[in-house]
Amino acid sequence: MTALRAPDPQTKTSKRTAALEARPVNLDGFVDEWPEVGLVAMDSPNDPQPSIRIEDGRVVEMDGRTREQFDFLDQFIADTAIDASSAERSMAIDAVEIAHMLVDPRTPRETVLRTVRGLTPAKILAVMKTMNVVEMMMAMQKMRARRTPSNQAHCTSARDNPLQVAADAAEGALRGFDEVETTLGIVRYAPLVALGLQVGAQVGRGGVLTQCALEEATELRLGLRGLTTYAETISIYGTERVFMDGDDTPWSKAFLASAYASRGIKMRFTSGTGSEVQMGSAEGKSMLYLEIRCILTAKGAGVQGLQNGSISCIGVPGAVPAGIRAVLAENLVASMVDLEVASGNDQTFSHSDMRRTARLLMQFLPGTDLICSGYSACPNYDNMFAGSNVDCEDYDDWNTIQRDLQVDGGLRHVDEREILAVRDKAARAMQAVFEQFGLPAISDAEVEAVTYAHGSNDLPPRDVLEDLKGAQMIMDEGITGLDVVRALEAGGFRDVAESLLALLRQRVGGDLLHTAAIVGRDGEAVSAVNAPNDYAGPGSGYRPEGARWEEMKRLRHTVSPSNPEA
Amino acid sequence: MSPTTISAPVHELRLAELGPAEQGTRHDEVVVALSPAFGEFFTRTIVDVPHGSVLRELFAGVEEEGASLRVIRVTHSADLAIVAFTGAKLSGSGIGVGVLSRGTTVIHQRDLPRLSNLELFPQAPLLDLETFRAIGRNAARYAKGETPQPVPVRNDFMARPRWQAKAALLHNKEMEFVRSGKPVQLEVTIGR
Amino acid sequence: MSDQTSTVTAADYPLSSRRPELLRTPSGKTLDEITLEAVLDKRVTAEDLRITPDTLELQAQIAEQTERPQMAANLRRAGELTRVPDERLLEIYAALRPGASTKPQLLSIAQELEGQYDAPVNAALVREAADVYERRDCLAADD
Repeated sequence: MTALRAPDPQTKTSKRTAALEARPVNLDGFVDEWPEVGLVAMDSPNDPQPSIRIEDGRVVEMDGRTREQFDFLDQFIADTAIDASSAERSMAIDAVEIAHMLVDPRTPRETVLRTVRGLTPAKILAVMKTMNVVEMMMAMQKMRARRTPSNQAHCTSARDNPLQVAADAAEGALRGFDEVETTLGIVRYAPLVALGLQVGAQVGRGGVLTQCALEEATELRLGLRGLTTYAETISIYGTERVFMDGDDTPWSKAFLASAYASRGIKMRFTSGTGSEVQMGSAEGKSMLYLEIRCILTAKGAGVQGLQNGSISCIGVPGAVPAGIRAVLAENLVASMVDLEVASGNDQTFSHSDMRRTARLLMQFLPGTDLICSGYSACPNYDNMFAGSNVDCEDYDDWNTIQRDLQVDGGLRHVDEREILAVRDKAARAMQAVFEQFGLPAISDAEVEAVTYAHGSNDLPPRDVLEDLKGAQMIMDEGITGLDVVRALEAGGFRDVAESLLALLRQRVGGDLLHTAAIVGRDGEAVSAVNAPNDYAGPGSGYRPEGARWEEMKRLRHTVSPSNPEA
Repeated sequence: MSPTTISAPVHELRLAELGPAEQGTRHDEVVVALSPAFGEFFTRTIVDVPHGSVLRELFAGVEEEGASLRVIRVTHSADLAIVAFTGAKLSGSGIGVGVLSRGTTVIHQRDLPRLSNLELFPQAPLLDLETFRAIGRNAARYAKGETPQPVPVRNDFMARPRWQAKAALLHNKEMEFVRSGKPVQLEVTIGR
Repeated sequence: MSDQTSTVTAADYPLSSRRPELLRTPSGKTLDEITLEAVLDKRVTAEDLRITPDTLELQAQIAEQTERPQMAANLRRAGELTRVPDERLLEIYAALRPGASTKPQLLSIAQELEGQYDAPVNAALVREAADVYERRDCLAADD
C-alpha cells in the first residue's frame, strides 16, 4: 500500500470473496444444464410423456412408442417389468396421487407396490418430479425392503496387499458392516485379495458377505469357486448404445442373474444416474429417466436388488441443479419396485465436508438396505474404487451422528483393544492360510505392522511378482472356498473355518437369494421375507432401542457422571 | 486439496489436412491419432494445457527414442478406444497413441482387442507435460519392439468431484464434431 | 420344472433353519451332514455346496407368495441352469453378449439348452434374445 488509487472494479475482489474462494466447496466442479445431450438431472424436454396401451395382455405401446419402435430396453421392460394386468389402472392414477401414497405412512407399503408395478418409466419419473427430498425420505423410510437398515464397506489396498484387506475387513465386520467388497489395482492379484477379504471378514464376524468387483465373467468365476459370497458389479445402462458399449444386453444380464442363482449365490445389479451422458449417448434424456429404465430392467430380470445412487458417476449429477435430489429419487424408485437397494454414498463426491454430509443424510436418515455401497474401511488413499464419500477417518463422526439423531447407520464404536485383537487374528489367519497353500510367506513383522497400521503406507512392501505367481497358482490349482476352510483348520483357526463353512453352506439352502438378504448375528438369513419393513408412521417400524441403542450411545470420549475424572 | 492446474507455455498450433491417411509402412512408426475437435474447436485440455504443448511433448518423446512419427485426425468417432485403435491399425509398427481434446490418452496396439490397450491414461486432469513426453517415449519404444516400464500414473481420489462433470460436458461437445469419413493425415506446425 | 410334491410358504423361511428336512445337496446329503469334520475328511466336496433345482423351486414358491413373480421366474431359470457345467455357463453368457453370436449360433445354443440340459425356459430366453438382437442389430456379422 503505497499510493492511494481508485480500485479497479474489474479485478479487485473483497477479502470476503477471497475467504469464500478458499472454501473447499469451490474445488468441486459445477456445470450448467445442457438438456439436448442429457446433462440434466430429472427434467429434460426430450423425456417421453407417460402412456400405455395393452392388447391381449401385452404392452403394445409405452411412453409414446409402439412395439415396432421399442429399443431393446423398452421391450425388456414392457415384457418383464410392467404388470400388464394392472397397468391401465395404475397409469390412470394422477402422479401427485401416487406421490401421496408414497409419502402417507397410512398407505401400506404393499398397496404402493401393487400400484407401482403397473407404471411405465415416464410415469414413475412424473411421480418423482412432484416430490421434494423430505417427501422422498419419508417414502424411502416406508419403501425400504428390509426392516433394519444395514451397511457395506470397501476394503482395498493401493498396493493390493491381501493382508491389509484382511485386517480392514476384520475391523469393518467388527464395527458392524454386513457386506464387504474389494477390487484391485492389478487384476491378477484378485484371488489373493479375495482370499484376504473372505478370511478377514469371517474373523471379524461370522456371516459377513464378501465380493470382489471385477469384469463380469471373472467375477462369476471367483463366486463359483466359493472365494467370494455375493456379487454386485453387474452393470446395466439406460440406453441401448451404452448398454452395448458395456458389452451386454438385458438378456445377457438376465442370463447372468440366473447363473448366479443356479449356484446359490446372492447378487445384485449396478446402475446409476450420469453414466449415459458421461459416455456421450444419453439421447437427450434426463439422467433420472434413464436410470428408471435401468431399475425396471433389474426388476424384470428378477434379481433381488440393485446398487444405485449414481455410484462411480456421482460427479455428474453432483454438478447439475437438483442432481442430489435425483440421486435420492433413483434409490427410492428401486425401493418402490421392491428391490433391495445398496444406495451409493460410495465414491468421493465433494471436497466440502458439509456437502458430503448433506448428500449422505438423504439415505442415512430414512435408512436404506445398505446405506453405503460401500463405506471405505481403508483410508481413501488406499481406496481402489477411486475413493468413497466416507472413509475410516470418518468412523467417529458417523457414530456420533447415529447417537445425536438416534438413527441407525449400521455401525458402532469398538474399543481399541478389540479392534487390535481382530486385526492381529485376521493377519495371523492369513499367515497360516498362505503357509498351508505354499504361498509367499507372511512374516511376523508384517502381521504386527498391519495390526497397528492405518493404511498401506504403514506396511512393508510385499514381493509383488512372487504374490502374482501365487495368485496364478490359486487359479491353476482350482483352489475353492472349501480348501480355504481346510487350510484355516489346519493352521489352527478352527472357529474361522467353521464360520466360513457356515457361510458357504448357505448356498445349499438358497435363503440368501431373497430380497435384501444378509446373515444375522445368529447365522440365519435376514431378508425382506422374514423381516419385512413394517413402517407405518410414528411409533411403528424399526427404531433403535434396547441393546442396540445402548451400543450406539458409546463413543470414543464421553464423560461419565459416576467417574467424571476417568 | 489444491486444484490441478498447469501453467504451460502457449505453443501456437496449426493443423493442415493433407488428405486421406494412408497405411504406414515404416516399422518404427508411431501414429498419433487426434479426436475430431482437437486443436480446432478445442485448443486446451480439461486443465488448460494448450494442445500445441501436448503435441510438442508427445513428439519430443517419440523423437528422443528415434522413432518415426505421423499424425492423423479421426473424424468418425470421439471414443478414445476407437480413435487410438484407428491410429494403431494405420501405423507401420502397429502402435498408435490416441488423444482426445480434453487430454485423455491411450497407447494402443493393432493386435489387441479394441477395448484393451498397452497403457491407458484415463484421468485427463492428472496429465502434465512431463507425462505426455513420457507417453511419447514409451510409444516409440513399443514401436521399436521394446517393452518399457509403464509411465507412472498419479492417482487423485478427489479428481472426480472436481472434473468428472466437466469431462462429461467436454465429451458431449466433442461428439458434436463427429462426422462420417476416413481418417485424415495432418501436417502439424507448432509455434514457439 | 421339478416333480417334487412339497410346497412351502413364507412362514417356512429361512428354509435352512425352519425346514432343513426339505433341503439336500446335489449328492443327497442333508445340511447336518455338511460338518467341518466331513469337509476335512473330504466326504463333503465343493460339488456338495451347491443348490438343487428342487430347492430353487421351493425358494421360487416363497418369491411368488411374497409377490415377486420376476424373482420366482429367475429362480426357476436358475433351477434349469444347475444342470449346466460352470465352463459352459460362462461360454453361453459370453455368446449372449452383443455382437458375439450370429442368429443361427444363438438358436443352436437354445436347442442345446433344451435338448441337452432340459432347460426350456432358458432356451426361450435365448430365442427371444436372438429375435431382439436381429431387430436391434446386436448380432455378429455372418461369416
